[in-house]
Amino acid sequence: MRNQTVKAAVLVAGALLLAACGTNKTESGGATSGNGGSCDQSKGTLIIGVIAPQSGGLSALGLGIKNSAQLAADQANEKCAVKGYKLAVQTEDDQATAQVGAQAATRLSSNANVVGVVGTLNSSVAQSVQPILKNKSIVQVSPANTNPSLTRGADYGTAPKRQFDNYFRVCATDDNQGPYAAKYLVGKAGKKNIAIITDGKTYGEGLAAEFKKQAEKDGAKIAATAKVGERDTDFSTVIGTITGSQPDAVYYGGEYPQAGPLSKQMKDAGLNIPVMGGDGIYDPKFIELGGKEGDLATSVGAPTETLDTAKAFVDAYKAKAFKDDFSAYGAFSYDAANSIIGALAKTVEGGDWSDSKRADLIKNVQAYSGQGATGEIKFDEYGDSTNKLLTVYKVSGGKWVADETGTYSG
Amino acid sequence: MSQLKDVLKPGLARPLAVGGGVLAVIAALLPWVTYKFAQYGGDNYPAAASLQFFDAPFQLEGYRLHTLILGVVVVVVALAPVPARHRVLRALGWGLVAVGVINTVFAAVEGGGLGAVTAADGAIAFGGFACVVAGVLAILAGIAGGIEHVHVWRAKVATPVAYLVLLVSFVVLLLLVAMMLNAGGQGGVGNPYAGPIFLSLLGFLAGALGALHGVGLTGWISKLSDQHKVFSVAVLVLCALALPFTEAGTDYWMTTAANIGIYAATAIGLNIVVGLAGLLDLGYVAFLGIGAFVAANFSGAAAAAFGVELPFVLAAIIAAVVAGIFGAIVGSPTLRVRGDYLAIVTLAFGEIFKKAAQNNIGGLTGGANAIPNVPPINWFGQSFDKSLTIGSLELPSGVLYYVLIIVLVALVMVVFANLKNARIGRAWIAIREDEDAARAMGIKTGQAKILAFLIGATLAGLAGAVFAHKTSTVAYDSFQFIESVTLLAAVILGGMGSIPGAVLGAALLLVLPEKLREFSDYRLMLFGLALILIMRFRPQGLVPDRHRRAELADEGAEGVPIEELNVHDTPGGSTAVAR
Amino acid sequence: MATLLQQLINGLVLGAAIALIALGYTMVYGIIQLINFAHGEVFMVGGFASLATYSYVLPDSWKSDWYLALPLMAVGGALVAVVLAVIMERFAYRPLRNAPRLAPLITALGVSVVLKEAVRLWYPGATAPVPYPRAFVDKQFSVEAFGGRITIGSTALLMIAVSLIGAVVLQTYISRSRMGRAMRATAQDPDTARLMGVNPNRTIVLTFAIGAALAGIAGVLYGIHYTNVDTEVGFLYGIFAFTAAVLGGVGSIKGAVIGGFAIGLIKSLAGQYLPGGTSYDLVWIFILLIVVLVFRPQGLFGEPERVRA
Repeated sequence: MRNQTVKAAVLVAGALLLAACGTNKTESGGATSGNGGSCDQSKGTLIIGVIAPQSGGLSALGLGIKNSAQLAADQANEKCAVKGYKLAVQTEDDQATAQVGAQAATRLSSNANVVGVVGTLNSSVAQSVQPILKNKSIVQVSPANTNPSLTRGADYGTAPKRQFDNYFRVCATDDNQGPYAAKYLVGKAGKKNIAIITDGKTYGEGLAAEFKKQAEKDGAKIAATAKVGERDTDFSTVIGTITGSQPDAVYYGGEYPQAGPLSKQMKDAGLNIPVMGGDGIYDPKFIELGGKEGDLATSVGAPTETLDTAKAFVDAYKAKAFKDDFSAYGAFSYDAANSIIGALAKTVEGGDWSDSKRADLIKNVQAYSGQGATGEIKFDEYGDSTNKLLTVYKVSGGKWVADETGTYSG
Repeated sequence: MSQLKDVLKPGLARPLAVGGGVLAVIAALLPWVTYKFAQYGGDNYPAAASLQFFDAPFQLEGYRLHTLILGVVVVVVALAPVPARHRVLRALGWGLVAVGVINTVFAAVEGGGLGAVTAADGAIAFGGFACVVAGVLAILAGIAGGIEHVHVWRAKVATPVAYLVLLVSFVVLLLLVAMMLNAGGQGGVGNPYAGPIFLSLLGFLAGALGALHGVGLTGWISKLSDQHKVFSVAVLVLCALALPFTEAGTDYWMTTAANIGIYAATAIGLNIVVGLAGLLDLGYVAFLGIGAFVAANFSGAAAAAFGVELPFVLAAIIAAVVAGIFGAIVGSPTLRVRGDYLAIVTLAFGEIFKKAAQNNIGGLTGGANAIPNVPPINWFGQSFDKSLTIGSLELPSGVLYYVLIIVLVALVMVVFANLKNARIGRAWIAIREDEDAARAMGIKTGQAKILAFLIGATLAGLAGAVFAHKTSTVAYDSFQFIESVTLLAAVILGGMGSIPGAVLGAALLLVLPEKLREFSDYRLMLFGLALILIMRFRPQGLVPDRHRRAELADEGAEGVPIEELNVHDTPGGSTAVAR
Repeated sequence: MATLLQQLINGLVLGAAIALIALGYTMVYGIIQLINFAHGEVFMVGGFASLATYSYVLPDSWKSDWYLALPLMAVGGALVAVVLAVIMERFAYRPLRNAPRLAPLITALGVSVVLKEAVRLWYPGATAPVPYPRAFVDKQFSVEAFGGRITIGSTALLMIAVSLIGAVVLQTYISRSRMGRAMRATAQDPDTARLMGVNPNRTIVLTFAIGAALAGIAGVLYGIHYTNVDTEVGFLYGIFAFTAAVLGGVGSIKGAVIGGFAIGLIKSLAGQYLPGGTSYDLVWIFILLIVVLVFRPQGLFGEPERVRA
């Protein structure tokens, strides 16, 4: 039966070839550009690591993070932002699990040319990555970890205490975004009987818990709470359980792949009330997947259309023609990478990069200040972003339209 | 394909082989790519890409060296009297094909098309194609001559000689492992060739090992190690402990190796359930998770449910006991449920565990927030996540976890080996082969099956305790169905019921994805393809258990043990049908 | 009361999708005792293939007419699923028929990973859920009754109808037709079947093909009902369907359908009425499954397991 073997071999070779062809297409953008023409890059290459899911179910978000960091590095190379060095991005897949994330972090941390890391997507992966990078004093800026305890410890509300001096983040934490959403939904929109649905994951659970605290404080009744499965697509049961309590709005803690269909199925079931969520659902895909008119989302920073830096980012990203969208956390990743690049430029000014500069780099990231795609990028004493500006967006005419911008204050 | 057989007369074997060998040597000297890869800073494609051999013959390295070696060996084998010659030729041929295909495909893709590996801009490069053709010729030579059975060495040697042989072969194995781990360096942006270099080396080693296997060398060594079990195990453990001192002694590989160890220990536990007792378990990672959560709760982490910090050893024992109790509970339906129905009971248990952990059942698992900041193990003031300095020698961080894991795996292996050869082990094997007959022979099958689950789960719980400290965070999403599948795949890939098999399987399943990081997006897919291919060509596992080998032997044709029959050689297709 | 009825309907709709997929599991298992883990991915590929038929094959003028578009999408989905299943059987499973029992299981897992990743990498935009065309055969019918409103969509009705009709047709085919007899014969004893003039290989391929066709059709129904398709659904529904097949008794057509509906109903009723609600609905499914298996180890409608050598 030799012919089977031959056929199998041909098949595999074909598959490999196809697979490989794909690589070429996606990688060429990063590989060819960025020699920056006339820049002095004589001192070698410094690497910005990215740790995010590149394969499997969460790869849409992870690929957006990777591409946006790549964009930041390419732009820095064109502008000769870091004197004497070329910047490169090395992406490591964490498969959205802690132990693979730890391996990815170790791999990056054992490379002397890695100056900083952009990542992770998941808070639980961050928990295993933090100590490893801390051991090597490598700065980490997360575009997407929203769990407040990562920076301020388990008692973040009452007794905040900095956990890792090398860890920063540019996104809003749950205890900022959740209450702001509650104020809007209860106060401005006047919803008093709210149902909460979560997806059981760190991001959604944390956000919804903070939302709930504030909403109850503001006098709203939590009509019902329910949970959808992480990969569920049929939400009729969940909708059935909340219909009885006749809520006038739903707050969803989770991301757009579930939120969009959920909103659509609610409407189909005759429950035509707005769905509100965090930055995890602020994505055009939410509307494509069934998000309906009047649905709400909060996101960090001033409205995209009023921010020139945001528009510039979107245009630059589109010009690069990446295969994947920048997705929910692309702009944050771009800002995170830029904060590392900016601090790095300052650190190596008039000197060479060496291991002993790592502490300086961390200090410089701490002191960094710049205008990013999501607004002003600066870090407070815990490593959180000082940009507490949040915007509520509303689906209107098939698009997200900014509705209100403000900050959450107690 | 009978036409091919008709064309390939035995007389053609030698000319084909010599032709293939010579062509391979030529391939090694030909250029493989037409131009320098400018985007990688003007590097040559891994090894020197010119006819440099003639001015600097000793600079031949990497895949070109492998091709040269394979080619020369093919010629030698074709002309010299070698046992199982055609089997050896075929293995060498596959090695050549692998090396050729991997390097050609990569160069063509990265170089932007076929021009990169054929002719462009006045440069020619047909090295890769020549290499593939040479490989095919060698394979055809093997087929033409008729594939013999694996040669068996019956030579008996004195104990000291045997010790020496074993020592040398294990040390060679250690060096090979270190070389493989480090093949192509650690990869990353400055080093885009790491992936293909590794795969190419793998292809070369597979061909070479296949040839050695055909000659009978590996069989002989494994027989020797069977005869001198204690000695081999001791040397193997020493070799494993020596890994940090080789080129693979980096932070990264120590961390990965420690993870491999955790999975290997768990896989050995699973091997008791699946490999010995024949009970398919699809939710086994739950026991690893239970062990990890228990240990995390006793670790003094801020989010732990109990505010006590127990010494690691004590916490590990509690973790193992708790996991074992759950093992017995999960095993209890085996009293009534059998076969694939049992498989789904275990799957159900795995899912129940995950859901319970996700919902923070009893406040014990931290729910979606996980239990973060589990402190590293700390003995005698030495924290396990820091690097260790002995005298002037600085060992990479993670090395202590690695050593701990090696000790744990060795311990688990001893437990397994003893159980397997004890009364209970024989009872398990009897149950696996025929449960009704086993009961008829007076074996208390229910008890034995629950015991299998209990012991397996205990070992997994123990591994889980190390996992908690090593990963420093214990989250429900580390224990999903896919992890159970990986563990099961480790056991089956390695060979059911075989100890080295489970370790090898776990190592392969964790090292492959790590080495395939170069292919980022494609690594899961390549992993899937690897699973299919390995099962396709070696369904009995890489290191089948000896008992199992004996049992399977009866099923093979003409009394030949089945492992010696390559599957595609068996009269499958139209005649072979399901049980 | 209205809530109960609504949840029953929800359960039936979900159950219908599961039942269609479970049929494929049960048929393949019945004939070669293989847990074809990749079957859920065949369903997923069917969903993508029918979407591709709609987006890239159908002329624009046909897209708004559901009576043209829908059957063609179903054909597209089923066709791709069948081709895939036949290739899979030929290259991944057939060579392993004489291998140790668990080897094909690993192959199946490998195939499942490859399929999922292939779609994710090469279908445009498939890293996230891909939206299905909407507003086409998507009508909601609702009645005010029992102090509440009960709603069911046209796609949901279609799903239930197709799964019931599919099961009846399949059952008839297997018990009446010549090929069906061949299947049952091969399942019982392939060697004797061959002596009786049955070509076991052809029969097995046919079994795979029928199962895949049903999964492909389930894919398109799933897509138009939930208005999106995602690479991850294969896994989730694969597990559901596998559970349903086992609950009903693997090898039994009736069992697979009833098992599928049972899982759907348990999920929706447990989410509504049992402690833990929707957080623990999967847990209740699996607990009930374990209980059923302990008291009826061969599943609800399965034959007691044959002793295999």
